[in-house]
Amino acid sequence: MNTASEVAEDVLVECQSVWKIFGKNADTAMRAYKERGLSKKQILQDHGCVVGVSNVSLKVKRGEIYCIMGLSGSGKSTLIRMFNRLIDPTSGQILIKGKDLASLDKAALRETRARHIGMVFQSVALLPHRTVLENAAFGLEVRGISKAERHKVAGQALAKVGLSDWAQRYPDELSGGMQQRVGLARAITSDPEVILMDEPFSALDPLIRRQLQDEFRQLTKSLGKSAVFITHDLEEAIRIGDRIAIMKDGVIIQEGTAEDIVLKPADDYVAEFVAGISRLHLVKAHSIMSPAAAHPYLSPGLLPSAGPQADLDALINLMISSGGDALTVAEGGQVLGVITQQDLLRGVQGAPAAEHAAAQPEHAL
Amino acid sequence: MSPGEFAAAFDDVVDARLEWLSDNGAWFFDGLNDVLHTGYQAIYSGLTLLPFWVLILVFGALGWRLTASWRFALGAMLGLLLCVAMGLWPQTMSTLALVLSATSMALIIGIPLGVAAGLMPSLDRVSEPVLDLIQTLPPYIYLLPAIALLGYGPGTALLATFIVAIPPVVRLTSLGIRMTPRVFIELGQASGTTGWQQFFKIRLPFALPSIMAGVNQGLMMAFGMVVIAGIVGSGGLGEVIYGAIRTLDIAMSINAAIAIVILTLILDRMAQSASRPGRRAAHES
Repeated sequence: MNTASEVAEDVLVECQSVWKIFGKNADTAMRAYKERGLSKKQILQDHGCVVGVSNVSLKVKRGEIYCIMGLSGSGKSTLIRMFNRLIDPTSGQILIKGKDLASLDKAALRETRARHIGMVFQSVALLPHRTVLENAAFGLEVRGISKAERHKVAGQALAKVGLSDWAQRYPDELSGGMQQRVGLARAITSDPEVILMDEPFSALDPLIRRQLQDEFRQLTKSLGKSAVFITHDLEEAIRIGDRIAIMKDGVIIQEGTAEDIVLKPADDYVAEFVAGISRLHLVKAHSIMSPAAAHPYLSPGLLPSAGPQADLDALINLMISSGGDALTVAEGGQVLGVITQQDLLRGVQGAPAAEHAAAQPEHAL
Repeated sequence: MSPGEFAAAFDDVVDARLEWLSDNGAWFFDGLNDVLHTGYQAIYSGLTLLPFWVLILVFGALGWRLTASWRFALGAMLGLLLCVAMGLWPQTMSTLALVLSATSMALIIGIPLGVAAGLMPSLDRVSEPVLDLIQTLPPYIYLLPAIALLGYGPGTALLATFIVAIPPVVRLTSLGIRMTPRVFIELGQASGTTGWQQFFKIRLPFALPSIMAGVNQGLMMAFGMVVIAGIVGSGGLGEVIYGAIRTLDIAMSINAAIAIVILTLILDRMAQSASRPGRRAAHES
């Protein structure tokens, strides 16, 4: 366990019951909600205001990729724009590295945006009259860094996304995937701690999208950056995110790791999303194993063994290649449980026995 | 009060006001006339200082540089030579000086105004109807008050031409400024730009094509007006045409019309080429 001060240091982005209400009477509507607990429908009827984001609290830690998944109109784009104050929250606080964004004056806000928070847009937004290199250097140019210096740093960023050869080209000469890479290079040129990704890969075709997802994750991890990643695609969230928040109608209805969400969807809405997701690489041995005591006829010591973090794919391979119909799960020479063919099939189906799911977390840690 | 009496009373009021204005504002209008006249005169003297063939070569070189087409450059030089051959060179230069001075005034005042209107919707709501009014009234209308206040001569022609040339400049500048795509505004903010940086690095580059279209349109409007302004003693080709109409000198009016067409074509092509900047020329920052 971390101490409280360590936790505070490691949290880069923190939202404390943040609300965004759109409309002329947003403040009255906010007060009405706080005092009388009006519903969204009532707020719309009585005050003519639309609730965009409703009571969201979350924390993004250093080095973490935090995905916010939701369909259009769920408030995810509004939420991410509050992290660099492109939109002001109606109520609640946003803390970046422990500092309240609302308390910053204009100069301090500019400074925070320029140095600490990068942003990548769905439509990329490369300035068409500038070369790729000049686009990548934009953030530093705004900060008044000399041309030689900013072009050097931007060149390095372009090298990281594999576009060194394209530095002198113009954006319209690049494919969609390459343009989005430039967008990413522009964000990392300023060396921010947090990168806000607003559905960056949504407009790309599936193969390029997968490739960029993997590259993005690798790059972010190797640079030690944090990212808030908005998407409407749960599969993308699962590929990229360390943690995932699912948003609907302005509310976060579930937050957790990909495995949490797939195995224990909070409600029918989430369950419906999860239904089509392949479990093969998500579900781990510790989630589907049963206690050795439940299978007295098996001798765990003789079975092929796998670690608790082995995924279904690996377990299936192991079972087939060993020719048996059961595996042990062991860590450090200690048997944690066994997995039978039945357990494996249930795991693929995505329906582990409830008592297992509840009993496993201690093993996982 | 019968309609006739009402109209007469209204006319009296207008006349009285105009008279009052020209009596009490004489110092202002005389000063304005001096300024306009001096500006025009400076450009005209500049243009006629050089022998015609030097100027024609300058036009050829400028046209070649802007349009990158030697055909256009050659055509422009031949056209101007034709003006010389028709004996209309000084008048052609006088018209050019009028158009250039009126258009520069329209740009100096119109572009900042358009930028302001583009950034402030409230100003735009006020300026739009005014511009509509200016553009719907027949251009002749501006000659009368101008002649009443400034008197007969190029100053009046310049003012009336300026009024006609300014609406497209303001309008297209404001449109260009307003048209910055939202995501680029967000990009600017998210990158930590100051207000000035946001304007010069993001809004202005996007607005530039529209602003240049406004410049071109202003120029064309000025050409149209400068001929009409021949009536108030603008000098130049307009006055030649007006004189030819009064004396039914058809040959002369056609000559002058040809000279105007040549001048308009040359300036239009050059302005259009200048307004389509190669991206390589536009990105020096």
